[in-house]
Amino acid sequence: MCVGLAAKVVGVKNGMAVVDASGAKRKVSAELIEELEPGDYVMVHAGIAIAKITDDDASETDEIMEML
Amino acid sequence: MDEQKKSALEIIKSYDGPKLRIMEVCGTHTHEIFRLGIRKILPKNIELISGPGCPVCVTPVGFIDEAVLLALEHHVTICTFGDLIRVPGTKMSLAGARTEGAKIQVVYTPLDAVDYAAEHPEEQVVFLSVGFETTTPSSCLAVKNAKLQQLDNFSILTANKTMPNAYQALKGSADAFLYPGHVNAITGEEECQKLANDGVISGVIAGFTAKELLTALAVIIEKSKTGRPYFVNCYPRVVRSYGNPAARKVIAEVMEACDSEWRGLGVIPMSGMKLKEAYKDYDARIKFELPEIKGKPNPACRCGDVLQGKCKPSDCKVFGKGCTPQHPVGACMVSNEGSCSAYYQYGME
Repeated sequence: MCVGLAAKVVGVKNGMAVVDASGAKRKVSAELIEELEPGDYVMVHAGIAIAKITDDDASETDEIMEML
Repeated sequence: MDEQKKSALEIIKSYDGPKLRIMEVCGTHTHEIFRLGIRKILPKNIELISGPGCPVCVTPVGFIDEAVLLALEHHVTICTFGDLIRVPGTKMSLAGARTEGAKIQVVYTPLDAVDYAAEHPEEQVVFLSVGFETTTPSSCLAVKNAKLQQLDNFSILTANKTMPNAYQALKGSADAFLYPGHVNAITGEEECQKLANDGVISGVIAGFTAKELLTALAVIIEKSKTGRPYFVNCYPRVVRSYGNPAARKVIAEVMEACDSEWRGLGVIPMSGMKLKEAYKDYDARIKFELPEIKGKPNPACRCGDVLQGKCKPSDCKVFGKGCTPQHPVGACMVSNEGSCSAYYQYGME
């Protein structure tokens, strides 16, 4: 139940967003994210987008390892 | 394999320092670490402990008993995340209650439970509100939506939990925490940073891909060598320093902190959430005047010790024998995020 789902936003309307997660589309609440637009990536938990994210973990981990 | 991941791998594989105990405080971390085979590449002096990061696993027996009572005695329709259905109560699980006529609906989100209540005005609907800071906002939005629609047939049974006081309760169980990235997506960095600043415990916020998990473990190893408390956000593509203020705002509007019982850990002061007075009409305990129920876990089950890192799942006498994913004795064997389930699924001794 606690598994997050990274998904791409394909539509936003009236506080709801349609997201695409590996081809599966679903309507989720976008009430807790400001300025969400089609093309953004979000982390979805229990039917709600909880964070706007970038979809690539490579540059993230590169920067952290450089810090060490 | 690219250079970056190899570098993190090299740091992990070459570690030959003092024993390092790292607790995953997220059920999804537990599952992904097993699935990716990360445990198999760790040197012997690094121990991973699966902590209380699965909301199903930490939900006490008494909560299941309350839900069964609501379903069988008050004849409400229970809406719940699917994982909870097979968690054993004192006498029976919700699956058992279903065979005795209880109406149980599995939902993906509490918002679906509100829709169900709106579509079935002749039924009293109770959503089983479990989870940490990640799922609590969805329960709060559901209650707000129900109030907006003036639904008088919807309420929630709360067992929501918050992590900071649990970290304090567990501080002696590990040398460092692998913090649950999606909890921090809501709460931000501040609380974890403070734990390091106060010298309580070190830790890093970790993501869920192979790169992110290996990087987080490499950072723990390198930072631990300094001998000083540390905190690093290793999941910045999702976790902002300020978290999600809108989510925290809706939680603060609808719920407030309370003492809460955690399976295996007992009652941790101010580690739970309950509905505020303004939303008491949506509190199933008040609405149905539930008595205080003390659940009795199966004495053979060592889920409580597993959750605190006091033993491995395979140390439990019923693990893999009387307790399997098909016939779970304890909650940690029910959920895919549970450590007993992960040990069983991936054949760990």
